[in-house]
Amino acid sequence: MVFTTAINFVRARGPDEFWRKRKIFKLSAHFVGRKRNCYSIAIRYVHRALAYATKGRKLRKIDMANLWETRVRAGCEQHNINYDTFREGLVRSDILLNRKTLADLSCWEPYTFKSLTDIAKRRALDDGLAGISSDNKLDGIITKGCLNRNK
Amino acid sequence: MSALKRVQQWATFARVWHIYDASWQNPFKSAELLKKYLMGLHKPIYHPMNDCGDHVIVINSGDIALPGDEWKRRVYFHHTGYPGGATWTLAWELHSKDPTMVLRKAVYNSMDGNLQRRYTMERLHLFPDANVPTNLLKNVSNQIQQLKAKPKRLDHYSENQVKQFPKIFDYPKDYILK
Repeated sequence: MVFTTAINFVRARGPDEFWRKRKIFKLSAHFVGRKRNCYSIAIRYVHRALAYATKGRKLRKIDMANLWETRVRAGCEQHNINYDTFREGLVRSDILLNRKTLADLSCWEPYTFKSLTDIAKRRALDDGLAGISSDNKLDGIITKGCLNRNK
Repeated sequence: MSALKRVQQWATFARVWHIYDASWQNPFKSAELLKKYLMGLHKPIYHPMNDCGDHVIVINSGDIALPGDEWKRRVYFHHTGYPGGATWTLAWELHSKDPTMVLRKAVYNSMDGNLQRRYTMERLHLFPDANVPTNLLKNVSNQIQQLKAKPKRLDHYSENQVKQFPKIFDYPKDYILK
């Protein structure tokens, strides 16, 4: 349910019953059955719908974050790197991209995403993070971690 | 839409066929792995309402290895719906009746119960041995790596290899081996 106006914030205590009820009926317009047209039933379901909408605003953000993470994990797996190592490698290379951006890249820009995984792998190797094995394809990449490489 | 884009889209949404050898694998851990391919969780285009799961052929499901003594501890419950219709079947009993059922139930239970689950299970093809119909096998283009390498039994090594294996010590002559 999307509310584009501040209609819900107005306290409907007007003297005119018609307009007071009309406000509720506008919110119940898409319901099915008597909860759409009978006021005493509609008001209960509108209250419930508004409570769901309040919860949904938070849940939507959590759901999207989970979906992005699933997609980035899938992308990481294609390039043989662990998700946690990947994020740590990026942070250490000062590439501060959020889950949404990474998910979009893994989906729409697979080559860009591959370059990111390569950088993260190189950095993880240079910093000696666990769970990554050496690969000579990564030799051409230079990160700030190279300074630690031969110590 | 250009020809390139069209082919790209086909390639993105095409169903891939994977094969998995279940011999000596833990079915419950394998289920978590297979679920990923069946639901399409391994693709960056994943969405719960996007039907992007792949097909998985599992061979040798008769040779799965349950951890510990779960063959005699794990119980499968079934109820016919009639009074007194409850049955409890031990894992080894179920396995002797249908060698694919333990793995099938493991995969089924690893997924959330929603409307998509039954259709997702349709994409799982289980075979108790390595005899897979050719029309399925010719679709396969990827092999899923086993969770654990299948260990080789001592009696499968040649006698020469066993003899040449480095020994730390010889047993004393009067030592009785159990």
